[in-house]
Amino acid sequence: MSFVWSRAKAIAQKEIYHVIRDPFALALSIGLPIFLVIVFGFAIEFNVKNIHLAVHDADQTQASRGLIDIFGKSEYFIIDKVTSPEKAQQAIMSNNDRAALIIPGGFEKLLFTGKSSQVQLLLDGSDNSTVVPILSYLESIQKMANKQLANFNPSENIDIKTRFLFNAELNSRWFVIPGLTVAIMAILSVLLTALTVAQEWENGSMELLLSTPVQPLEVIVGKLVPYAFFCLVAVVFVYIISRTVFGIPFRGNIFVFGLGCVLFLVTCLVQGLLISILTRSQSLAYQIANMTGLLPAQLLSGFIFPVESMPKFFQYFTMLLPARWFMVIARESYLKGSTFFDLGIPFLALGTLCWFMIFFAVKKFKKDLEP
Amino acid sequence: MPELISIKVNNIKKKLGINQALDGVSLFFAGGKMHGVIGPEGAGKTTLMRIILRLFKPNEGAVEFFQDGKVLAFESIRDNIAYMPQQQSLYPELSIDEHLSFFGKLYQIDANEYKKRRKELLEITQLEPFVDRPAEQLSGGMYKKLGLMCALLRAPEIILLDEPTNGVDPISRREFWDLLYRLLEKKILIIVTTAYMDEAERCSIVHLLEDGKVIAEGEPRELLHKQHARNFDELFFKQKGAAHYA
Amino acid sequence: MHNDFVVTVENLSVLFGDFRAVDAVTFSVKRGEIFGFLGANGAGKTTTIRVLCGLLHPTKGEVSVGGIKFDTKDAEMAIKKKVGYMSQKFTLYNDLTIEENLTFIASLRKLDTKTYLKRRNYLLNFISFTRPLNSFIRSLPGGIKQQISLAASMLHEPEILFLDEPTAGVTPAMRARFWALINDLAHLGKTIIVTTHYMDEAEQCGRIALMRTGKIVAIDTPAGLKKTTFPDKFYEFEPRKTISYLDIQKLKICPEFEYFEPFGMRFHAAFKKSPEAEKFRQELNVDFNTKEIAPTLEDVFIKITEEKGV
Repeated sequence: MSFVWSRAKAIAQKEIYHVIRDPFALALSIGLPIFLVIVFGFAIEFNVKNIHLAVHDADQTQASRGLIDIFGKSEYFIIDKVTSPEKAQQAIMSNNDRAALIIPGGFEKLLFTGKSSQVQLLLDGSDNSTVVPILSYLESIQKMANKQLANFNPSENIDIKTRFLFNAELNSRWFVIPGLTVAIMAILSVLLTALTVAQEWENGSMELLLSTPVQPLEVIVGKLVPYAFFCLVAVVFVYIISRTVFGIPFRGNIFVFGLGCVLFLVTCLVQGLLISILTRSQSLAYQIANMTGLLPAQLLSGFIFPVESMPKFFQYFTMLLPARWFMVIARESYLKGSTFFDLGIPFLALGTLCWFMIFFAVKKFKKDLEP
Repeated sequence: MPELISIKVNNIKKKLGINQALDGVSLFFAGGKMHGVIGPEGAGKTTLMRIILRLFKPNEGAVEFFQDGKVLAFESIRDNIAYMPQQQSLYPELSIDEHLSFFGKLYQIDANEYKKRRKELLEITQLEPFVDRPAEQLSGGMYKKLGLMCALLRAPEIILLDEPTNGVDPISRREFWDLLYRLLEKKILIIVTTAYMDEAERCSIVHLLEDGKVIAEGEPRELLHKQHARNFDELFFKQKGAAHYA
Repeated sequence: MHNDFVVTVENLSVLFGDFRAVDAVTFSVKRGEIFGFLGANGAGKTTTIRVLCGLLHPTKGEVSVGGIKFDTKDAEMAIKKKVGYMSQKFTLYNDLTIEENLTFIASLRKLDTKTYLKRRNYLLNFISFTRPLNSFIRSLPGGIKQQISLAASMLHEPEILFLDEPTAGVTPAMRARFWALINDLAHLGKTIIVTTHYMDEAEQCGRIALMRTGKIVAIDTPAGLKKTTFPDKFYEFEPRKTISYLDIQKLKICPEFEYFEPFGMRFHAAFKKSPEAEKFRQELNVDFNTKEIAPTLEDVFIKITEEKGV
């Protein structure tokens, strides 16, 4: 069937009227970004400060004291000296300390002989909220320690075994805010479009629309446009806030990021439309949009919990989520300055998902009234 | 002047859930005339309309469109059929003008032609002073007239109206029918379903449906004369016998 | 005395923001009367009924239902106990059975089981209901649903019944049956207030109030309304052969007509009082079968509305 732009335009124009006169949609598109930026930007602090660290220094040398100093001088740790490794473990058991640093004897000697020197860090694994941040500090502490204590081969001398690899920035906002762009767009776009087709079924206007020559793809494209516009405004809003208020750097290419934005947006909007097309009921569409838009964007996209640390099954599962791929594009554009080619795989994945979403939406668009 | 389009309904059967909505319905709608499909609620009128418009698929049977003795493909005349559904199907927050503009673009009507038609339609429906009023604030009669305007905007050759005056006050009903009569001057094939028996009498040809079956077809006066009934209410009564009991 | 009036309304107005749904309406209804509200959708019939049922507060004016003045919150509750209400929109729950629906309503009305069963059986017998009680509402045909709904609204033995468009979408046969029931109820001493936009139903009411844009434009018995609106002779014309729309239009503008409206394929007409008009009427006999008839309420509605301006 042929695609006629003027018909899609007619649908788009009508949709604009609906949106402008719908207080819910407007409140959502303006209120939600603001709310999320405030909550995640200002209120949530992933960094944990003033962690009590039990320290046992068996070496008692300048190097060991230097190492302890690095921990102590950072704002994150409060040093509690203990007299034995067993006491250190006890301290963790009794919740007096969250972690313990055990420096063995001979620490300095090994350091100056050029061999790598190990220290042991014990962590209270029952509390995830401190373990994770601590481990993220360790990489930077390790680098600092290497610089200050050893004058040769910095990367190999002090080896603090860490389990996770996080990005270099300690500033959690730099970590969260780019991801926020993704989360906001994912939630907003799916919710906004999820209601519109179902609404036409419910208020009876779909019957009349179907009796005209309009094609499913025209309806889908026409309904996308106003919402895409709203969401892009939200993106620009978050971008401006992130750069001016939070001072987050943008090291990547704005066009690459923009392309990723548009691709991601279209995918999410079509996802919402697909939900609307399949459910034909506003209340049901809303529930499903929340489940498939909001929750995955928050929990599975890598926004808060890193994908790499999820069970294998979920790591593969998240490959189906557009948010997961755009998260990579957003974060790396802000913080790593990746080029288009660096981001080849995410773009390819995102593009494929987008195409599939559109394909299904058009195919599943009911053109008759059969129950 | 091109030949008129006629519609032939061939032995349509349609089941909706457990209900046999249409049970072997065959009808002929001659072009350029006003046809009434009459019957009480549940007779199958709306189902029939939807099947003609391909919004429903029949279980058995077919609907054919004829012109010059040849069968036309539905897709070729889809642009020429207008529809006014029974239930509310306009957009509550959109004004009359916004509705007309929307449907005008949907039907790809050229700008000058649109201006002309819009003016004409607003004139004959007398809705010109209300063009900026949203549909949800229109009275019952005005709402229906808007629905009719949206249907007529595309200058169709066939127009299907499903109970267009249901629940509308007697004056607005008459105004609506005045509008329909003017369409006949343009030789449009009009199919109206109605449960109002007096409206049935105004049609050139009536097709009586009850419980998914055709009871009679023909000119109102002839039919009534044949059945010795004064009006269609009586005719239906006679068909069914005594009134229903629980 | 005023004991005879079960409903009195004086200068009732209901405003929704700026919109006057009901505009300074005054009327009263006697015990055992079938009182009808006639008018187009949006004329204010449903709003008025809702006030009388205690579902809406009057913005202005005085309302008294079953001897209770509607002026406080307590009055609301007292009124609801005395009236039965059958709404046009919602009647019964489609996914529950008849029995479940009735028991539910009985419990809302705080009826004990014995009383409920006695009344239920009486009412079902009254409407000659013979189907099994465990049928789902959605499996019942339209007209039967309305009858069950009527029975449900009477479980608490109200003295006043409000029926809001009770026969919407029902076959003519069913409508006749339903109205037979209403008449039976009136004979038993119940007061019934009905809204409808079917003119032929309105004919069956004792008195009618015609509403338009929130106001009552006429209130009288059907016969009275007809006499007042058309004091002189009234005719029906049936064309001897089919005439075209254009011919009808030409006829319509003839000055001899006081009133002229097509009714299906016939016409209703009233003439001016002049010798020319009389002559004109005689001439029509050539093309038309002429009969003298009583005007219908639809004629009344059209004439009154056109007089008062649209």
